[in-house]
Amino acid sequence: MTIEATQSATATPPESGTDASGAVVLEGLVKRYSGVVAVDGLSLRIEPGEFISLLGPSGCGKTTTLRMIAGFEQPDEGDIRISGRSVLGQPPYRRNVNTVFQAYALFPHMSVAENVAYGLQQHRTPRSELRERVASALELVKMRSFADRKPMQLSGGQQQRVALARALVNRPSVLLLDEPLGALDRQLREEMQLELKLLQAKLGITFVFVTHDQGEALSMSDRIAIMREGRIEQLADASTIYGRPASAYVAAFVGQQNFLRGTVADGGLAVTTPSGVVLRAGETALVGHTEGQAAVRPESVSIERADAAATRGERGSVNAASGTLLSISHQGETMQYLVEIGEATSLIVRRPTPTAPQLSAGDPVLCTWAAENVQLFPLDDAPEDAGYVPPPTA
Amino acid sequence: MRRAPGIALAIPAWAWLLIFFVAPVGMVIWFSFGYKPGIFGTHANDVLSFDRYAEAMSPTFFATFQNTLWVGIAGTLLCLLIGLPAAYWMAVKAPPSRRGLLLALVMVPFWTNFLVRTIGWQVILAPEGWASTLLQSIGMLNGPLDILYTRTAVLIGVVYNYLPLMILPLFVAFDRVGHSLREASKDLGAGRWSTFFRVTLPLARPGVIAGVLLVFIPLMGDYITATVLGGAKGNMVGQLVASQFQTAQNWALGSAMAVLLILVIMATVAAGAVLVWLVTWPLRARQRLVLDTKEAVR
Repeated sequence: MTIEATQSATATPPESGTDASGAVVLEGLVKRYSGVVAVDGLSLRIEPGEFISLLGPSGCGKTTTLRMIAGFEQPDEGDIRISGRSVLGQPPYRRNVNTVFQAYALFPHMSVAENVAYGLQQHRTPRSELRERVASALELVKMRSFADRKPMQLSGGQQQRVALARALVNRPSVLLLDEPLGALDRQLREEMQLELKLLQAKLGITFVFVTHDQGEALSMSDRIAIMREGRIEQLADASTIYGRPASAYVAAFVGQQNFLRGTVADGGLAVTTPSGVVLRAGETALVGHTEGQAAVRPESVSIERADAAATRGERGSVNAASGTLLSISHQGETMQYLVEIGEATSLIVRRPTPTAPQLSAGDPVLCTWAAENVQLFPLDDAPEDAGYVPPPTA
Repeated sequence: MRRAPGIALAIPAWAWLLIFFVAPVGMVIWFSFGYKPGIFGTHANDVLSFDRYAEAMSPTFFATFQNTLWVGIAGTLLCLLIGLPAAYWMAVKAPPSRRGLLLALVMVPFWTNFLVRTIGWQVILAPEGWASTLLQSIGMLNGPLDILYTRTAVLIGVVYNYLPLMILPLFVAFDRVGHSLREASKDLGAGRWSTFFRVTLPLARPGVIAGVLLVFIPLMGDYITATVLGGAKGNMVGQLVASQFQTAQNWALGSAMAVLLILVIMATVAAGAVLVWLVTWPLRARQRLVLDTKEAVR
């Protein structure tokens, strides 16, 4: 990659429109495996130059969707258009997309340079151009000095970089990434997240990133598609997904939540739990429901000693709950408190470590939260589908 | 206590090799320098000479040797040609749930005695056998089938008897290459053939070598298939060696022939390896890419 090319890629904003190079349009995709539906009428428009994540638990159809874009699977119904042209029936080697595989899939009998050169050799690139492009692709991922090693002699993170270079050297209009960071340890993963994001901004290539790790999706993506049972549950940017989840499923899958069930009150504006805690929301309303559930994030809840709150005249009525502190655990950047606020009901509270109140187990406490941090959902939407586990009780 | 060195695990295998391989081969080499002392003796080694080798290299022996080598090479190549696609299909294309059944089917011929199944082919290929009748009745042949006691019949028997030995190592090798590498290859723009010749086959090389050796070496010493199906034209060196040991009771001459056979097998394998290396050299040169790791690109 020359300096000029890099600059022009960052200077011009990615052109919009579904026919532009790098745009991916999925329309009503259906894929069944011997009768079982893996992808169920999925539609999605990916803008050119966008970093989009397909996020969901295993079995939600995200990898199948990616494999259909790559060409490894053919959809049973629907259409896939890449850069404005339908690719239905096209084998993977005719599509201008490249994939970074979960287990890297580097060719063990070829050196790093030969691995990267493979795609260019298939397209009969002249030898001098090939050398230059392989060298600069390896430079891009900081693996130039490892060019003559075999993949077996590299660490997981280094193999990851080579896999990235091998895909990028072909200058695809779309890069597909299938849980590429899954096999790395945490520190390396976070480092690679940053690098991937920078690389994407620099090259201006559309990235379609499949992951089950919400942290990865939140930190890198322009938009996130939360998938559930072969469909998209919500498609939005990270702050909307996190702050305004469209369903209890999304709320439970992204970040941690306290879910409290009860009867609907105030004309759909609040939920009252059996133990009398009232959770009133700022805007979302449950009109036409008699029962519902409220979600509050642990970090949105404040906690203090009940007597200290009483002297300030604070009472536990609306968006507040008094209870007994069951346990405290240190989580590094945050302190986590587990509070019992009623029979078999508990609340997780998380405060930043520097400002966390000094409390001990057994203390009577008062938990409060703001109305704008309360999300209300109907009961028929089960957060358990997203892997939600309610906090333990004593 | 110090841990026992790992080599202890290999002692039974070493002992086995020593008793049943090194010792007999050593004895054969030793006998080959001796002579047949009289009508009732089989070998004597009080005078050592190369005379038995000179005696072995008669025109008959050369003709037989040539035939053996021809059957060995042609049979191995045929097995490879048939075994490669079969093993690839079994390991890659066939549904995974069927692979166990397919492997069992490959092994089926081994459930019958070697000699019996070869004689079975004699029955099938005879001019009055059912293959002949069938081909005549569908009009593909005028007159009876005339391939029994020819090289064609020998090759049919050889492929039948040795094909499983080729398919099994190839299957294991193809199976080990794994799906994701082929997908990566296609993702990078390689079609089916390119993927096969640049990824699948190079990675399956140990299996190809094992299969070729497993077929070629026993085939060079086999004379049952050739005798049963090739008749007088199916003379193999193995047969000459056996007749020297069993009929003529001349162990010294038989040993010399056996040693020559071993040397020819080794030379052929080496020549084959060099040939393959030379033929594929331009290809490998084209794909090789060495970047100077010191000098950074501008």
